[in-house]
Amino acid sequence: MSENKGFSLDPVQLQEYQPNRYPFLMIDYVEEVIPGVSAKGYKNLTLNEWYFPEHFPGAPNMPGALQLEALAQMLTVAITTLPGNKGKVVHGLSHTVRFKKEVLPGDKLVIETNVLSWKRGIAIGKGVGYTNDEIAVEADMTISIPDLLKQFLPAKSDGTK
Amino acid sequence: MTNLDKYNEAFINAFGVESSQLEELAYQSIAEWDSVGHMGLIAGLEDAFDIMLETDDIVDFSSYEKGKEILKKYSIDGV
Repeated sequence: MSENKGFSLDPVQLQEYQPNRYPFLMIDYVEEVIPGVSAKGYKNLTLNEWYFPEHFPGAPNMPGALQLEALAQMLTVAITTLPGNKGKVVHGLSHTVRFKKEVLPGDKLVIETNVLSWKRGIAIGKGVGYTNDEIAVEADMTISIPDLLKQFLPAKSDGTK
Repeated sequence: MTNLDKYNEAFINAFGVESSQLEELAYQSIAEWDSVGHMGLIAGLEDAFDIMLETDDIVDFSSYEKGKEILKKYSIDGV
């Protein structure tokens, strides 16, 4: 695997780079990931999604928090595919999200994420989710790999990091 | 702008503090100087002085005053 070359990850393969599992794995397929640069793919939504019966009865739509989660999970793949990062736990640090339209049963949520910076365990990135070729959600995201980040932190007054 | 001005500005931009607070600042002494704030401060200083801090120095950069000592290693005088 070359660091600068793109490749795809099917639903089974992507689990090597994305630790979330049912019912919280919010991406289905990574069509192209370029490690440290970008990741794009999609989530197909059927009426069988676990959240639709309750969100909302008679008017099912994908919760905004889970749309954001889908974007963050895709951005995560762009980082965990970098050499040495496979299998690392990733945490969200701060996100700014904008919702443009409802994401509905039957939609294909196409997700494109780009890494704007990756340094010392912190990634800053941008993600956009589309349905029917229109922007449904977009977010500015900051995620981290705590294992890497803590290597650069001073000790707290109690000696911990 | 002097090197001290640039140094102070990096803290003010990273943490939104007043200049009167600077001398007392230390890692985790305010909510803004947490793990993410630390990386933002380091990035701001690297940009301001066009340097790349070594890992050991990033770890040792535990306070406003300690940071002044560290920058001297990078030939940043007057802070």
